[in-house]
Amino acid sequence: MDIKELLNEILLKDKAFIHLPFGNGKYDIYESVVVTWIIMAIVLVALLILTHGFKVHNISKRQAAVEAFVVWVRKMVGDMLGEEAAGYTDYIVTVLIFLGVSNMSGLLGFIPPTMDINVTAALALMSIVLVEAAGIHHKGTKGWLKSFIQPMVVVAPMNIMELAIKPLSLCMRLFGNIIGATVIMELLKHVLPFALPVPFSVYFDMFDGLIQAYVFVFLTSLYIKEAVE
Amino acid sequence: MLEFSAINIGCTIANLLILYAIFRIFLFKRVDKILLQRKEEVDEATKAADLATQQALSTKKEYEERIALADEEKEQILADIKKQGYDEYDRIVSDAKKKGEQIIVEAKHNAEVENERAKEVYAAQLTDMVIDAAAKIAATKHSSADDKELYDKFINEAGVDNE
Repeated sequence: MDIKELLNEILLKDKAFIHLPFGNGKYDIYESVVVTWIIMAIVLVALLILTHGFKVHNISKRQAAVEAFVVWVRKMVGDMLGEEAAGYTDYIVTVLIFLGVSNMSGLLGFIPPTMDINVTAALALMSIVLVEAAGIHHKGTKGWLKSFIQPMVVVAPMNIMELAIKPLSLCMRLFGNIIGATVIMELLKHVLPFALPVPFSVYFDMFDGLIQAYVFVFLTSLYIKEAVE
Repeated sequence: MLEFSAINIGCTIANLLILYAIFRIFLFKRVDKILLQRKEEVDEATKAADLATQQALSTKKEYEERIALADEEKEQILADIKKQGYDEYDRIVSDAKKKGEQIIVEAKHNAEVENERAKEVYAAQLTDMVIDAAAKIAATKHSSADDKELYDKFINEAGVDNE
């Protein structure tokens, strides 16, 4: 199997999971959405177990770990967002955890939802809506419109183009990295099905997945920070 | 997989919002609730500690004021006692002086009385001796030598008696 065939298999495979009897396949639900539902269910169950019976005093190790994680991740994201945009921390943390779990879902035998461009597009769309909403909320509609001619009027077309470029770059970067990692892993499996894929899987499924989640969140935070300044 | 599907993008956005709600309700709010309760307890403890510190400072100030007042009272009492002591001393000295002067006056008076009495005794003795001498002269025949002898005898006797 050459690379072209492999890419065709990965990219052009029919990913429709739930076929609806109307719309001629237009309204079919993709596997990525179903995997996202499974991830959501797993996360919900995990949260219910982890946050059950929280106490103020004499806390368990589980509670201490959860509290420490929440404080740490909020601080990390809060530092990226800055003081003025601190209100968006919880949403960004949600995206970070979702991306982290999604990118690593390959370890559980699922196809990572982020391998579907619709998922990364939805994430990027949400990010850019949040960025512009934050800008309007903090600067007012007038201030937000004025920001397009900053620092000078000449750059206004580029600033307007950025409205599309930013989400597109976010979407493509995440999708490209995850699909790239998957292609490399498939190639490695074809080269040597035993032993060799294991260390690479640790890198591509775990380390790279978390890095890409961090990069997506970092850039979104940066855009929000810029929008509110 | 490279086709954009509005329904799947919409589903993913809905999923993301639901996931955000799940995280808010089952993680952030629960952790925040515990952290807030803990913070309230710490704030209360801090407030109580501040109150205790203020009370301690107030008590210390009151104590210092009392000490200052007691010092003033002590000084006043000492001054009063000193004054009383000096007054008593002056009174005793004055009384002793008066008593001494009175004793001296009395002693002088007694001495004068004694002196007068002695003088009267001497005078009486002298008179007796003169009478005695006169009686002896009258009783005996006498010459100028006898007179001289009598005079000398009288003078000697008078001298011995006066010593």
